[in-house]
Amino acid sequence: MSADPWRRILDEVTGVAGVRGALIVSSEDGLVVAEAAMASLETADVAALAAGLASRAGRVARVAGASAPTSVRLTAERGSVIAVAGDAQLWLVAITDPSAELGRLRILLGDLAATLG
Amino acid sequence: MNEFAPFPTSGPRGHAFLELGERLRRRGQLDAAATVASAGLSHYPALADAHDLLGRIRADLDDDDAATAAWQSALECDPGHAGARKGLAFLAFRRRDFAAAERQLEAAASQAPHDVTLLAALDRVRVARPASEESLRLDDPSSGLVLFDAEGMRLIGGISLTAGDATADAVAAEGAGFVRDAARAARLLDLGAWRQLVVEAPDARIALLPVGRDASLLVWRPATTPLGRLVATATRAGAAAREWLERMA
Repeated sequence: MSADPWRRILDEVTGVAGVRGALIVSSEDGLVVAEAAMASLETADVAALAAGLASRAGRVARVAGASAPTSVRLTAERGSVIAVAGDAQLWLVAITDPSAELGRLRILLGDLAATLG
Repeated sequence: MNEFAPFPTSGPRGHAFLELGERLRRRGQLDAAATVASAGLSHYPALADAHDLLGRIRADLDDDDAATAAWQSALECDPGHAGARKGLAFLAFRRRDFAAAERQLEAAASQAPHDVTLLAALDRVRVARPASEESLRLDDPSSGLVLFDAEGMRLIGGISLTAGDATADAVAAEGAGFVRDAARAARLLDLGAWRQLVVEAPDARIALLPVGRDASLLVWRPATTPLGRLVATATRAGAAAREWLERMA
């Protein structure tokens, strides 16, 4: 997929109230494929941390006898990180503040992640 | 051949007694059915289907203890025997232990995910069960709750009836690494203290949350569990885990 469709996907994510930034990450090496509205965040850090969480989630799921995860959400005092798996080992990641509508964002990320490949 | 002969010939394995026993059971001739099943078991003691048949007969006789023993024997012969799980679920449902019934049916559904009778039974149990009633007993190895320390050592709990201690220990070990990564990510992204991790997979949903300073709790539920309910369960289980840790201190 070319950069423009990815840009549209990221713009749609960052258009949700409470989303501080969004990026597309390669789960294989944790590298940033595309990013949007990440002004106050170190993009490379977010990508590496999100890829690390996705990897850990996969290991926990595997030892528990479950299939590979399709989404991982970390909730903390001042916001959340949501990562949703797409095709071709790409993950769509959003960073939010506590005001974000997480239910709506989860569905949107799932829909958009399916178009990443 | 006498209708009540225990082993009418039907092929090399000679398991026609199962059909005969079931037919007698359905007719209400329970003593005769039990005689057929017991005779079959004397020849095939490791045949899970035969124990399953005996379980159904004992359940029809309202002898729940004997039925439980028969179905547990079936599971010893074949840990994935869906009929035995359904039978144990039926007994649990009859004594209004809806959480246990749900666990048995979920275990059966994990072996036969397309069995519509199982899924319908699971729906019936969930409808019958009050929303607040869910097994949060940490000492139940099938509770889907695993409490572990910062080193990844399991303190108490288990994943499911079919997964043993080794699986629960491995979950604890990997869970501790997941928790460390979550705390690190939250710190580096200036998100403050981490409160919860939620993982969705096609066949499972998993939540982790901190319990005190040095322990965390993992909650495992089937993929049919709504996310909101998973989080609510995790919150309640976290409180139970804190109480358990205080008692142990």
